[in-house]
Amino acid sequence: MLALQLLFNALALGAAYALVALGFVLILNATGAVNFAQGDLVMAGGYGGLVLARMLPVPGVVLLPLLMAGMAALGLMVALVAYFPLRRRPPEAVFISTIAIGIILQNGTNILFGPELARTPALLGDGEFRWLDGVGGGLVVSAQSVAIIVVAALLIAGLHLLFSRTQFGRRLRATAQDREVASAIGIPVDAMVAATFAVGVALAGAAGLLLARGFFVTPNDGGNYMLKAYIAVTIGGWGSIPGAVAGAALIALFEVVFPALPALVPALGGPAFSQNGATIVLDALILVILVARPQGLFGEASKARA
Amino acid sequence: MRRADAMLLLCVAAYGAYAFAAGSSYTLRVFSVAGIYALAAIGYQFIFGQAGALSLSQGVFMGVGAYASGILALRFGLGFDAALPFSVGVPVLLALAVAVPVLHLRTHYFALATLIISQMVLLVAVEWQGLTGGANGIGGIGGITILGMPIRAGWPLAATVWVCVALGAALSAWLMRGRAGHAYAVLREHPAVAGAIGLDGGRMRLAAFVLSAAFAGFAGSLYVHVIRVISPDVLGFPVMVTLLTIVMIGGRLGVAGAVAGAVLVIELPEWFRPLREYTLLVYGAILLLVVVAAPGGLVGALRLLLPDRAPPAPPALAASPALAELSGLAALSGASGLLLEIDGLARHFGGVRALGGVSLGLRAGEVLGLIGPNGSGKTTLVNCVTGLVAPDAGRVRFAGADITGLRADRVAHAGIARTFQTVALVDDMTVLDSVAIARPRTDFATARAQAMTLLDRLGVADIAQRRCGGLAYGLRRRVEIARALALQPRLLLLDEPAAGLNETEQADLSRRLRGLAADGAALLVIEHNMAFLAPLADRMACLDAGVLIAQGTPAEVQGDARVIEAYLGRPAAVSRPA
Repeated sequence: MLALQLLFNALALGAAYALVALGFVLILNATGAVNFAQGDLVMAGGYGGLVLARMLPVPGVVLLPLLMAGMAALGLMVALVAYFPLRRRPPEAVFISTIAIGIILQNGTNILFGPELARTPALLGDGEFRWLDGVGGGLVVSAQSVAIIVVAALLIAGLHLLFSRTQFGRRLRATAQDREVASAIGIPVDAMVAATFAVGVALAGAAGLLLARGFFVTPNDGGNYMLKAYIAVTIGGWGSIPGAVAGAALIALFEVVFPALPALVPALGGPAFSQNGATIVLDALILVILVARPQGLFGEASKARA
Repeated sequence: MRRADAMLLLCVAAYGAYAFAAGSSYTLRVFSVAGIYALAAIGYQFIFGQAGALSLSQGVFMGVGAYASGILALRFGLGFDAALPFSVGVPVLLALAVAVPVLHLRTHYFALATLIISQMVLLVAVEWQGLTGGANGIGGIGGITILGMPIRAGWPLAATVWVCVALGAALSAWLMRGRAGHAYAVLREHPAVAGAIGLDGGRMRLAAFVLSAAFAGFAGSLYVHVIRVISPDVLGFPVMVTLLTIVMIGGRLGVAGAVAGAVLVIELPEWFRPLREYTLLVYGAILLLVVVAAPGGLVGALRLLLPDRAPPAPPALAASPALAELSGLAALSGASGLLLEIDGLARHFGGVRALGGVSLGLRAGEVLGLIGPNGSGKTTLVNCVTGLVAPDAGRVRFAGADITGLRADRVAHAGIARTFQTVALVDDMTVLDSVAIARPRTDFATARAQAMTLLDRLGVADIAQRRCGGLAYGLRRRVEIARALALQPRLLLLDEPAAGLNETEQADLSRRLRGLAADGAALLVIEHNMAFLAPLADRMACLDAGVLIAQGTPAEVQGDARVIEAYLGRPAAVSRPA
């Protein structure tokens, strides 16, 4: 029963991480550059949700579209300031400019809201369902977790439809595949890259709203989320969209299961199974993967021949 | 030293003089911290500037140095100087442990790996409370002592720190003088070229990374004795951000940039006290502004404003030593057999067959023309022979030795040189240096003199002191060929050498290439231009879809039905005999 509970928790967490990683990989594919601010944009989404909730006392699920629209606008601004002036320069220029954006977001939020824990409204409510109470502790399913899974699934499905069924989505994909060819066949590449930033940052914002209920949010959370997206995309295969989702799910599974190992396997125990312990072990595993399989667990979505 | 760099250092010296004269202990303390960051930033320039790799662990190397020195002082009473082997050694070992597996990875993976290492070190420092004091750290560390002599806070401390900065800056400038600096420029701008001219890029990156860590460790051990506590703060990302900002503002290259950047960034919050709360926010904004508007930083901008006076005259041609040695390329003794034997070479990229088992031979003194439609595998063949791409199957033998899958720089040292389809020269380097850098096993002055001979041979000696960035295409081609010849290759692989040249230039190049072959070199020339290639080549071979479809004299190959079909497509079905 505990295993089932952990699996459910991992699914909810992984759904939110998947949105972060998807935003990261979309921008990566469209620009060829790492968006180092992705994690800080998740954090900004959390605070955005907080601000919206102060103005409109409605459930989070109503705020979500508003927040995503606002975050999309922020994404356009990020593109304008940190990508377009640098698009003819080596990719690490964008890496550094987005580090700068991250610093600005983190410290700006700190000045505006202070370093304390903040919390967004629940998507629907804070209810809990308890099932099978008699069996091994039962299964606790919070409304928020279910809502996260449903919302993330809808967003991912919507994204899939956007990319596979619409002309706009096909143009976005063409741009991601090869900017020069896309431009040669008349696709407005700059507009497509800007749109990708809007979509990617909107996803980060949505993840921020989803995560900042159960896990709270502080201005310093960005680095953590950025690393998770970065790692998810690395183990899922650099540039692969399904890989990013799978990578996010794997990270969430690890984060949920590892600290619970002493409960699952009574022989294990000790301080190693703390939150920090989990991060250290995950980091070490990622390094091993980088060394042994730099193309990721599922293979890199390689575009270049040489 | 360039004028711009000297000017920046003068400004820093002037500010330093003011700090010493003003003499308040607080001012001097801030100035000391600026010096410590300057040392770490000088170190960061090795990996981020010279090697061009975005490392995000420089802050943590500094922190590890601080922890090592601090813990040794607290637990074993070791002074600053006695602890140095450890406070420099531990970050260096950490850098080696990280570098060996991940340093060859591409930018984004290397950045990620260094970031992950940083996070791990920070978490370990927080968790390992028995050793590190955990999240609260440990206070009560003594000041700097050198040979048992305590250095007082105030001007003695500031002077000690800045003497270290001066020594570090001198060491860095000395390490990067002459050949090394130029070699790193090639590695940074054109990694593939670095291998092709015999530079071991992996070793160079490793050296840069280890130097970075050593400088950071030294800076960290100074730091811990100045602030007198160890705490996880010194391992945090803000330290890394500060170092990145320093180097971006000052400039990625040139110690003057690191020093001026450090003074600016560390003193800035002191000059604008009311804004101190916003320090990091301001750093972020400045970082963004610099990346977008002034990627060369202060040094880069000043170098544009204050260009150097005319560069020193190139070595005189007549005085060039080793002229005789260079005039004939090292010819193969007993050139009866094949110099290059390619046997069944195959390479796939994903599902695409680039080479499907190609066998070719080449004799010394022979010019082989390699033709084929675009995408037929010509460049892949050259890449496989020169070690840029590892073949999936097949063997390459050169002068009797198996060189299959050998690393590019080793292939170059074995005597195979190449040029690239798109000319790959470092814009900011002079023609002379671009060629001299490829001369193996000579001191740089001799290499430059020998490079003059080669430039003369290609008819471009008069532009030796010009920077490559401003050169016309035809001239760049010739400089590139001169650079390839600087390796004294026995085999020269030229990828579309005539592209973009006018007819006079083509005729001239053709004559010079024939001259090389007459001296005993073997040449493999990829070309589409038949008017150029046919008279030049002794033999021709044609690739189509990764397979050799014809081989023979230029006339035979040009007349071959399959070659014509590969280039022009299949004749219409009606015209074919039944």
